Amino acid sequence: MKTLIVEIIEPKRLGELVTVSKEFCDTPDIVALGAGDVPGVYNKAWQTEETISANLVPAIAELIQKEEYQVVLFSASTVGAGLAGPVAAKLSASVVSEVIGIEPDLVVRRPMYGGKAVATYKITATPAILTIRRKYFEPAELEGTTAAETLTIAEPLVSLIAEKQEKSEGVPLEDAEVVVSGGRGMGGPDNFSMLQEMAEILKGAVGASRGAVDEGWAAPTLQIGQTGKIVAPGVYFAVGISGASQHLAGIANAKCVVAINKDEEANIFKRARFGIIADYKKIMPALNNVLREE
Amino acid sequence: MGGYMHIAVLAKVVPDYEVPAGDFELSDNRAHSRYTRMMGLYDENAIETGVQLKEKYSASLTIISYGAEDDIPVLRKAIAMGAEKLVLVTGQSDDASVIAANLKMAIDNLGDVDLILAGQQSADMDRGVVHGTLAEMLGLTFIPQVSKIESENGGWKISQLTETGSRDLQFNGKGVFSITSIPENVPRIPAVRAIFAAKKKPVEKVAEVESNAMGIEEVSVEIPTMDSVCEFLPVEDVGETVKTLLTKLREERYL
Ligand SMILES: Cc1cc2nc3c(=O)[nH]c(=O)nc-3n(C[C@H](O)[C@H](O)[C@H](O)COP(=O)(O)OP(=O)(O)OC[C@H]3O[C@@H](n4cnc5c(N)ncnc54)[C@H](O)[C@@H]3O)c2cc1C
Repeated sequence: MKTLIVEIIEPKRLGELVTVSKEFCDTPDIVALGAGDVPGVYNKAWQTEETISANLVPAIAELIQKEEYQVVLFSASTVGAGLAGPVAAKLSASVVSEVIGIEPDLVVRRPMYGGKAVATYKITATPAILTIRRKYFEPAELEGTTAAETLTIAEPLVSLIAEKQEKSEGVPLEDAEVVVSGGRGMGGPDNFSMLQEMAEILKGAVGASRGAVDEGWAAPTLQIGQTGKIVAPGVYFAVGISGASQHLAGIANAKCVVAINKDEEANIFKRARFGIIADYKKIMPALNNVLREE
Repeated sequence: MGGYMHIAVLAKVVPDYEVPAGDFELSDNRAHSRYTRMMGLYDENAIETGVQLKEKYSASLTIISYGAEDDIPVLRKAIAMGAEKLVLVTGQSDDASVIAANLKMAIDNLGDVDLILAGQQSADMDRGVVHGTLAEMLGLTFIPQVSKIESENGGWKISQLTETGSRDLQFNGKGVFSITSIPENVPRIPAVRAIFAAKKKPVEKVAEVESNAMGIEEVSVEIPTMDSVCEFLPVEDVGETVKTLLTKLREERYL
């Protein structure tokens, strides 16, 4: 099937989509968003520095129609979320978002009910537009680069005034082998320093639940879960996190979960490999002490 | 924009999204009917954002929903939070295209809507597709994951949350924004008096229009099993607890 990838130039995100594209074709085509070389080998490549989805919709819909793509792949990301619905409506295409599994003949799986259920769909009409949930497909190694033609964008509707990068020191959350996450049970912003200290010693990263982000104790970029980051570390420490299904959706592929929670009934213990039923204020300093001494 | 601003917020009533996995059951591929019905969480963030804009710009605020009549009592919460009007298109499709076409009909009926807000994703379908589809059907600009909105010189100044931080965007015209959660749009808890007053507000009910579904067939819906067995570590001596934990993590090569 003729397949198009549309994604920001970022090797892991592109690699995941290339892996998914192998279910549909040998070599996909690509629209690469952003500046720089287009990593990997494609049949045809287009490129634009435009990354605001609203400005990309007309050009991408036109390209899909002109080149008669049957499958179009986006990441389930800000850009992908901005493109999928509008492009689908423009082309009367089928769209399945947040895809976590693919079987032959356009059978796809995606979560429902905050990840408590998984639905399987058969797509019966093309073009099919899929947004792929991060971290569910092993990213393909992208070798070499492909020369790209410029994708012409009409007069932009939305203009970018400023872009702010959230400061992040150390390992990026999504690449970290150890993630130390805090939830509403942290009780305030100050004690996140305990998590930070542990993450630093273990060369990991700090994450948060939506509870903690809603309270303003952690930046939204640290949110882990269905609508936050998807992580797959070796060890995930859940500190003061109840383990709502929408949070667990972000750690489905974490190898080992350690839960520290004072409520023995907390749902997180159903996902955890190791559990400590206690106040984190007792456990975390002790953990950091032992780690510092080592 | 004309003399006044009219904001519409799309809201959907869903089965309790906080039911833990262990208690979750399906019947006919959908959540069992015994769970409490409630407004989707991001939809409440969108309503809160709408109410704040209403207060700031003296806008009028209409809530639009596609769903069942039985859910009207739940939708009234939006009135209690500060909206003044509720429109329900009665229907039961889960197809994103059908839902969007019906919401479009309701918006066309209102005629003068300047801004349409929706939750980032519904709390049952986990999808985030309806609002973008609707925007295109209306011929409007769609911006996902919006955290802040200001009206500026007849246009909009918007903050959008991204994977790496945030972006400030600007555009002129009408738009559909999906609202993400930030501390500033945590939904307010309506006062008891407002809840009682909301019960008396009329609700406009509209029959659904026929429209094409997407080419997607639902094959099955299943509840995945969570088979982690938790090993609880004794906590009598905290120093020992953490040493044991670290030893076990290393033995099993997680650390
Ligand atoms: C559509 C949708 C999308 C969502 N997306 C996400 C998402 O991406 N990520 C996400 O996290 N959530 C998400 N949620 C929200 C989710 O449903 C939960 O509300 C949220 O995860 C709860 O956060 P929490 O566990 O920190 O808070 P709570 O549920 O309040 O849990 C706090 C926990 O801390 C424990 N605790 C309290 N004090 C202490 C102490 N001193 N020591 C140890 N333990 C303590 C308590 O026992 C409790 O278990 C989403 C919801 C919806 C509807």
